[in-house]
Amino acid sequence: MKGLGWKEAALVIGAAALVWLMLTSIGVVPSEAIAGLVRGSVGGPAAWRQTLREMTPLLIAGLAVAVALRAGLFNIGADGQLLVGAAAAAVVALAVPGPVGVVLACAAAAAAGGLWAFPAGWIKVARGGHEVISTIMLNNIAVFLTLWLVRGPIKDPSVQTWTTPSLPTGTGIPSLVEAGVFRLNWALPLAILAAVAFGVWLQRTVGGFELRAVGANLTAAKVAGVDVDRIRIRAMVASGALAGLAGAVLVLAFEKRFYSNFSPGYGFDALGVALLAGNSAWGLLPSAFLFAALSAGTTSVQILGVPKGLSTVLLGLIIIVFAVLRYREACRDG
Amino acid sequence: MVEVLFASTVTLTAPLLLAALGGLTSERSGVMNIGLEGKLLVAAWATGFVGAASQNPLLGLLAGICLAVAMSLLHLLLTQTFRIDHIVSGMGINALSIGGTSFASKGLGDRSQSVAGVFFPVWMYWILAAAAVLALALALDRTRGGLRLLAVGHDPDKSRQSGVDVGAVRLRALLATGLLCGLGGALIVTNATSFTDGMTGGRGYIALAALILGGWRPLPTLVACSVFGFVMALQLQLQGSELAGAAVPSQLWGALPYLVTLVALVGFLGKSQPPAGLGRP
Repeated sequence: MKGLGWKEAALVIGAAALVWLMLTSIGVVPSEAIAGLVRGSVGGPAAWRQTLREMTPLLIAGLAVAVALRAGLFNIGADGQLLVGAAAAAVVALAVPGPVGVVLACAAAAAAGGLWAFPAGWIKVARGGHEVISTIMLNNIAVFLTLWLVRGPIKDPSVQTWTTPSLPTGTGIPSLVEAGVFRLNWALPLAILAAVAFGVWLQRTVGGFELRAVGANLTAAKVAGVDVDRIRIRAMVASGALAGLAGAVLVLAFEKRFYSNFSPGYGFDALGVALLAGNSAWGLLPSAFLFAALSAGTTSVQILGVPKGLSTVLLGLIIIVFAVLRYREACRDG
Repeated sequence: MVEVLFASTVTLTAPLLLAALGGLTSERSGVMNIGLEGKLLVAAWATGFVGAASQNPLLGLLAGICLAVAMSLLHLLLTQTFRIDHIVSGMGINALSIGGTSFASKGLGDRSQSVAGVFFPVWMYWILAAAAVLALALALDRTRGGLRLLAVGHDPDKSRQSGVDVGAVRLRALLATGLLCGLGGALIVTNATSFTDGMTGGRGYIALAALILGGWRPLPTLVACSVFGFVMALQLQLQGSELAGAAVPSQLWGALPYLVTLVALVGFLGKSQPPAGLGRP
């Protein structure tokens, strides 16, 4: 246990004890819940299908949060950007069917998400208003805006529920693998490619270096002649565009429509994905997989009587524990 | 109409003010606090749950305050002992609180129904909120403890060198944060008469915005909270009404408080100066 002090060990044990206590308090045997969690996430083709499906938007939205985070900005607004992106994608794909519609829908989603993130970037740079507050406000506004859209202008008039019509067959991102109950959509390999491309861009290009410089030390970057304001606004808009794309992928690859309460909190899980991944873009892959497995697993153990809130608790604990361990690691490395 | 609007403004301002003052003691000591939302939420749940289970409003309120204080101390532990980023810690605590209260209210059954004798009357909280804002306004730059708090938040290193126990000052500040947020959360569940998932609805963040717009000073923070409280009250009054003869969708009114917060961030932030030592160890 080199470098891991007793305080860190106590924190980890405390976190585990909390989860154990929560499960026991509602009359669930913890070992059964954990076994169910594993079964529901990686035990069999149906579980894998669900985990990989959840991983797709989480990876893209996690990448979105990571882009802003590398520039030193906390984009808590990924959920709102994802919502407006998903709504925009549904509207465009319903208007323009076929592959052209898919491309246009993605573009519209990226534009909508970017537009939704822009005020946060601008308020931060021009007015000094903290992006955590502005993005949370934009999230709430996005919820009301998309709710209004789906209850009125873009609602499917033929049904009672608040949803758009379903996309016509042939409009959407197709499956890559279909074997029995297992499905893998093309969107996941594309998302992985995007994460890898971001990693390369970050390490190998001037733009990536400048982004990292701004995130690492704003004053130093400014003194060195980097246009920090422009980079921070761009990072925020790019982050929003990616989050919007995550929404488009949900509509085009999986849901095939937009409806009320569309996001169960992908944007917040995405924050966990990015924080857990730390400084590395490659880290986004295992991190998104872990959160996807948790999400698929906790959905499946709801049958055992374990409320869905457990996954949010685990999100919080993972964020805290890994921040502590990473700080410790940084101290050890000097 | 005007009386209703006024009463409703007071009702909605009080929890915001309690949370914002909780944020004030924390941030003035140099500890950034994104986690107000989570503390409000755990206090709201515990007050409702324990109050209904014991049929004793005092036990309910104490449970709410204890849980909010525990969350506040966790934040202190994570930022001061483990030295993690203040925003990361705050977000972690918010996730823990949102998930934990949702888990508990489903898993343990919803017992916080509206029953007489479960909650204290709301005016008690109003008096406490008013007392808190007055006490902070008077004590902050006139008493020994208040000045120490400001000094630690302004420059922790110099305070340390001149013999101030930074850790102790921050401990007291964060205890106050927990207490004030505990009262705020208890008031939120008292107003609503029962707990629902995520019932704080971003009010912890609006309180944070009010604190920033108030320049981290008690009386201007009170003004900012009142403005947000008034907009929320107005929103409730305007639901279903018309604007220039056309029906306005209810969602627009619903979004109004958040829009106003956003616009306030753009328009009135210019001169607001955060404590110089905010976020520093």
